Amino acid sequence: MKMRKGPFAILMIIAIIIAVYTLFPFFMVVLNSFKKASNIVASPVTTAGASFGQLKANLSAVVGNSNFNFWAAFGTSAVITVVSLVLLALFGGMAAWVICRNKTKWSTMIYMTFIASMIIPFQVVMLALISTFRDVGNFIDIKMLQSIPGIVFAYCGFGGAMTVFILTGFIKGIPYELEEAAAIDGCSPEGTFFRVIFPLLKPVIVTVTILNGMWIWNDYLLPSLMLGQNGPVKTLPVAVQAFVGSYVKQWDLILTAALLAILPMIIIFIVAQKQIMNGMVEGAIK
Amino acid sequence: MASISFRNVTKIYDGAKTPVVPNLDLEIADKEFVILVGPSGCGKSTTLRMIAGLESISSGELYIGDKLVNKVPPKDRDIAMVFQNYALYPHMSVYDNIAFGLKLRKMDKDEIDKRVHEAAKILDLDHLLQRKPKALSGGQRQRVALGRAMVRNPAVFLLDEPLSNLDAKLRTAMRSEITRLHRRLDTTFVYVTHDQTEAMTMGDRICVMKDGIIQQFNTPQVLYDTPDNLFVAGFIGSPQMNFLDAEIAEEGGNMYAVVRGEAEDKLLIPAAKREALKPYVGKTVTLGIRPEHFMTEEKLNADNALTVKVDFREMLGSEYNFYLYVGENKIIMRVPSHEKMPEGDVIKVPVNLALMHFFDKETEKAIVH
Repeated sequence: MKMRKGPFAILMIIAIIIAVYTLFPFFMVVLNSFKKASNIVASPVTTAGASFGQLKANLSAVVGNSNFNFWAAFGTSAVITVVSLVLLALFGGMAAWVICRNKTKWSTMIYMTFIASMIIPFQVVMLALISTFRDVGNFIDIKMLQSIPGIVFAYCGFGGAMTVFILTGFIKGIPYELEEAAAIDGCSPEGTFFRVIFPLLKPVIVTVTILNGMWIWNDYLLPSLMLGQNGPVKTLPVAVQAFVGSYVKQWDLILTAALLAILPMIIIFIVAQKQIMNGMVEGAIK
Repeated sequence: MASISFRNVTKIYDGAKTPVVPNLDLEIADKEFVILVGPSGCGKSTTLRMIAGLESISSGELYIGDKLVNKVPPKDRDIAMVFQNYALYPHMSVYDNIAFGLKLRKMDKDEIDKRVHEAAKILDLDHLLQRKPKALSGGQRQRVALGRAMVRNPAVFLLDEPLSNLDAKLRTAMRSEITRLHRRLDTTFVYVTHDQTEAMTMGDRICVMKDGIIQQFNTPQVLYDTPDNLFVAGFIGSPQMNFLDAEIAEEGGNMYAVVRGEAEDKLLIPAAKREALKPYVGKTVTLGIRPEHFMTEEKLNADNALTVKVDFREMLGSEYNFYLYVGENKIIMRVPSHEKMPEGDVIKVPVNLALMHFFDKETEKAIVH
């Protein structure tokens, strides 16, 4: 379908406005990480005082900062994100498959529960969550707070609903005959899942992983509550908090650290761009 | 190699009141090519899926060979199945699709390789082995599905409407290919279709089903020549058999079938059929005439002719299909294309009563052929 020129131009302008609006904070982060703190406060939107030398100085100040411990935080963030994503894809896929193929009252109810949980805002449950996690942790004698397994568990719970929701929709489109063919070929149910269903989920798992990945990597509130501001493990967004004092905010270091935190996501996005687009498109027409 | 035996098998789906397949008794011999045919919803696919183990059996016993398989999972039944939509694994190459079942059975790598290449050669897939199913045409996909079933050397080969997604030309080609495959593999084939042409051309025996009940189970020739009831008569043959109401009358030592349409036609019933029709004298029966059985002999005397009104005709090349009215009833007549009959005219067409079928109007069972 070809669009007429007038409406097309209007839509284009709206798209540009939204794009600028969305990119502006990112632009601020990048621009100001090239400046000294004083220049940032004086004129945040201009290039005054920006230089590559200053960026280098900021970077080494952030990475070498003793309060901040960039590499430890980076490692923690990476571990939490990767493990959560792998578990979400794996268990999300299993749950979605069973819910989709095993049509009983119970499976429908479980599915509805997943969907219902998507509309509950995190802020409503967060305080109760912390005390529950502490009690459960004490009871089963596994540290749930201030620990990586604890927060990974929490992410699997919070991310599970959307993951199952999206995967279920996709699995519905996979012909059931494939599973019957696998059964005749000699697959056990587990074999059917891992050899037939899971490989077919690849495009949609890429999509889900991107969505969950961006959220988990960038999340501040959950880790700040579960890991604490001064606990032994810190994710990048929480660690950046080290530069935020009660009276002094080291904007140059905060923004440079933020830039460092964003970079991996951007790199992944650029590298995996084709995969991501394929995933979205294939999911759409299948 | 194995026979298949249904003994009083019933299938009733959860929550359903009536069974899809009630009390089925069916014996399929070893190495036989049996076609299950019938309109959609007649239970033919369910029957096939029970053999495959994809549907549970509600009651009764199912034997493959001499083994009771009611509770045996599909993978242990020594069967292979070809699905209507091929059900190829989209993420695997043709080679892996064919080899999948063998790999799961932990077969030796060289043996797998040998078998896959053998099957590929038979099915003309050698050059496609590295492709993904997405990059194949419908016919090629169908052949991969056949290959996947073949390499396993199953005792029973199950095919669920395997040709219905192909275009007409390819279907004809694949039909003969499957028949050839059956001869080559020399194993039991059970084939489900709703297409009577496929049934007639491929099967050793055809099992015509309706509402889960076997209407007739016999060779194509027997089904065509002597259908047991109206349903089988109407289902086998294309275009389908024409049915007309006729009153049986006796007059001066002769017996006639009286058809009231454009005129009152008295058709002389051949002596061989009179005995069976005796109890029906004075009653109305259903007369069955196949479209191709008009004017089959040299022109018969006008006594044995049906008065019809020509509606229109269809050119088929070597033949014409004439659509005719006998009173309110529409009938089809197939004649060689040199016959000339103007549309709209009322004419007399001779019929050959020796080839006609008589059915009881109440029970729909055949009286005499």
